[in-house]
Amino acid sequence: MANYHSVIEKNVGLMIVLTLVAVSFGGLAEIVPLFWQKATTEPMATLRPYSALEMAGRDVYIREGCHVCHTQMVRPLRAETERFGPYSVAGEDVWEHPFLWGSKRTGPDLDRVGLRPITEQWHREHLRDPRQVVPESNMPAYPWLAENTVDWSHMERTLKVFKNQFGVPYSDQDIDEQMNKVRGEWADATEEDAVVAYLLSLGQARREER
Amino acid sequence: MSQFWSVYIIAIVVLNLAGCAILLLVNLKMTPEEARNETTGHSFDGIQERNQPLPRWWLFLFVGTLIFSVIYLVLYPGLGRFGGLLNWSSVTQWQEEVALVEKRSEPLFAEFAKVPVDELHQYPEARDVGGRLFANNCAICHGSDARGAKGYPNLTDDDWLYGGSADAILTSITQGRNGMMPPMAAAIGGTDAAVRDMALYVQSLSRPDMTGDPQVAKAVERAKPKFAVCAACHGQDATGNQALGAPNLTDGIWLHGARLEDIETTIRQGRNSHMPKHEGVLTDERLHVLAAYVYGLSHSDEE
Repeated sequence: MANYHSVIEKNVGLMIVLTLVAVSFGGLAEIVPLFWQKATTEPMATLRPYSALEMAGRDVYIREGCHVCHTQMVRPLRAETERFGPYSVAGEDVWEHPFLWGSKRTGPDLDRVGLRPITEQWHREHLRDPRQVVPESNMPAYPWLAENTVDWSHMERTLKVFKNQFGVPYSDQDIDEQMNKVRGEWADATEEDAVVAYLLSLGQARREER
Repeated sequence: MSQFWSVYIIAIVVLNLAGCAILLLVNLKMTPEEARNETTGHSFDGIQERNQPLPRWWLFLFVGTLIFSVIYLVLYPGLGRFGGLLNWSSVTQWQEEVALVEKRSEPLFAEFAKVPVDELHQYPEARDVGGRLFANNCAICHGSDARGAKGYPNLTDDDWLYGGSADAILTSITQGRNGMMPPMAAAIGGTDAAVRDMALYVQSLSRPDMTGDPQVAKAVERAKPKFAVCAACHGQDATGNQALGAPNLTDGIWLHGARLEDIETTIRQGRNSHMPKHEGVLTDERLHVLAAYVYGLSHSDEE
């Protein structure tokens, strides 16, 4: 019998090709089919797109690295659904770019934080100084969020990118409406206003199941 | 999942397993020449590369993983639409877990529901359950030790904004509370001096020794007649009104801070306190146990 492996070992190009074939099997079977599954490509019926303020809050959330310590992924385990709320499903994250599932919890999961009976005031105090309300917390304080006003210069473009590139169903009228608010009532909004609005929006698609 | 993707996944998985098995078989065999020489024929500086058959233990492990994957794919979902003989899914597992705990805890909660709130806190099991409910639902504002924080009431003392009876506590948790003190600066004169005088007077209500200072005594004298507007909620004697959630100002317990600046801020800006309602967030049985736990925090000496 011919010694195939010596042929492969002596031919780097062939080895690279065969290695790629070998490692692609998992992705081909587990990932590729999901691009065409309704469960992962169709948004939940109760999902609504972010307002401009929530979108700005989400950007601040990413900038400050909140997702490094807080996941947004409730797993289908009783202990988690008991503590946080309904487990996460793919249809909730169809419009998330990038998604913020995270992989490590230093703080609690936040995917359902908007469903919890927590007041806006608490969120503000907690962001400014977490230990004021939770003495044993190891979360850093973010006092500057209350001082910085939101940088709105890219918001119109952001909304259009989400509409045109990511298929989020903003109509032109929606975008105009949001931009009117940006120029009006939200013109002087602080980053804290935006982050709190974003946090309170989390999990709203699942309100009925709570 | 459509028929196409099901077949696609099955094809790749089967191909992958078959490929591994074939690779193993092909490498198992050696040419007679190789077997005779026991080397690959490479030789550098007199060092020869040996060519041995695959070690048996390693071979068996490899075969073992193949067998494992076949058994796994028969029992668990992995082959397209075929759900496996065990019919396992993460969702059904979660449902079973939830149902199991529900079944186990139901009689316990039913038992607790029969006991009135002001007695239930003496049951150690109810206290354990209540403590966990408290940690998950109340501790972020009232603290894990229930001693509260600035703006969030201490639940372990005998001072109650809306009453400390079992009923009042249960209502506070279930329906929530909205405490609203309007900005009062204008009503008491509007000047900084008037606000300072009133703050000193309010502070002196729980610290009578303060009036020993003639400055304070004068401020108290100036502010006292104006307290009538405060008395509408806090009462003529300033001991508060639990129907409105107006705090007692004479007991030395300060929800929004005891410093003179804090009291001035309260007078100037007013305070809005909101206790969210928990009806619908927790089941009635759990609210009952939680109320008993909170009641027990300030009544534990009765045991």
